[in-house]
Amino acid sequence: MKTGDMGVITTTIEKALEWGRSNSLWPLTFGLACCAIEMMATQASNLDISRFGSEIFRNSPRQSDLMIVSGTVTKKMAPRVRRLYDEMPYPKYAIAMGVCVIQGGPYNQGYSVVLGVDKVIPVDVYVPGCPPTPEALTYGIVTLQKKIRGETDR
Amino acid sequence: MISVAEILEETKGKDGRRILKVDKDNFLQLMEELKEQGFDHLSLITAVDWRDRIELVYHLHNMENDNYVVVKSDTLNNVFPSVVHLWTSADWEEREQWDMMGVWFDGHANLRRLFLPESWTGHPLRKNYDLSKVQYINMDDEGNDYATFDPGDGW
Repeated sequence: MKTGDMGVITTTIEKALEWGRSNSLWPLTFGLACCAIEMMATQASNLDISRFGSEIFRNSPRQSDLMIVSGTVTKKMAPRVRRLYDEMPYPKYAIAMGVCVIQGGPYNQGYSVVLGVDKVIPVDVYVPGCPPTPEALTYGIVTLQKKIRGETDR
Repeated sequence: MISVAEILEETKGKDGRRILKVDKDNFLQLMEELKEQGFDHLSLITAVDWRDRIELVYHLHNMENDNYVVVKSDTLNNVFPSVVHLWTSADWEEREQWDMMGVWFDGHANLRRLFLPESWTGHPLRKNYDLSKVQYINMDDEGNDYATFDPGDGW
């Protein structure tokens, strides 16, 4: 492209910020149970979520925007989940991955499992499955990006 | 060798393991004799709630000739003799049984709950455990867990 041939793009600051946020969602390295294996597969080279801007899993909650709660949340773990979520800077988002995280799943009748992580932290996108496929989680992340940009997802 | 009269019942499990059933009073004596016979590894302690009694199941392993024996015994008052002085690994196994089934082991020096916080009400693997009373676990500033019936701030 030659200089002067690039045209003009107009946008609002808000839209530009949303675009930037949605395309640089850095998840927190946070695996609780078997769903974490699928989360690792989502991140690995075959299904590579860095194509969608979720470049690397940060090891510190201070540097991440997205918490993928992957795996059964026990009552003992719940305060820790809350603390990690509180340590993340705004704007922050959460994905509930797998049926255990959504409503307890096979442990619904048990004494030790939190019946839905949304009792502990606010959740933006629910990805059902036991465990969800890496494609499903990728779809969940894309859905979250659309949500951040304010687009409807039908 | 223990006399035959003291073993109430001897059967064989599906996997060919000897299952010895003894009375609670003869239990420690049998365990001491089995240890002398070479069962040097206590592989697990588990318990069954039969509503009227609690049955304790001990799996012993002989490392020399790879031989297993299962010892079963009952308790009516939820108290049972500890075997920590014979196998040190019984320490945490007995703490787990205290935590989950509420069996008090006499002679255990440090019988605290293994998994749940000390303030938890009831023993969850009991048949009469009330699941409708939901308990929550919270964390104080030092990072210690405590159980509450009220969700509180952390939830």
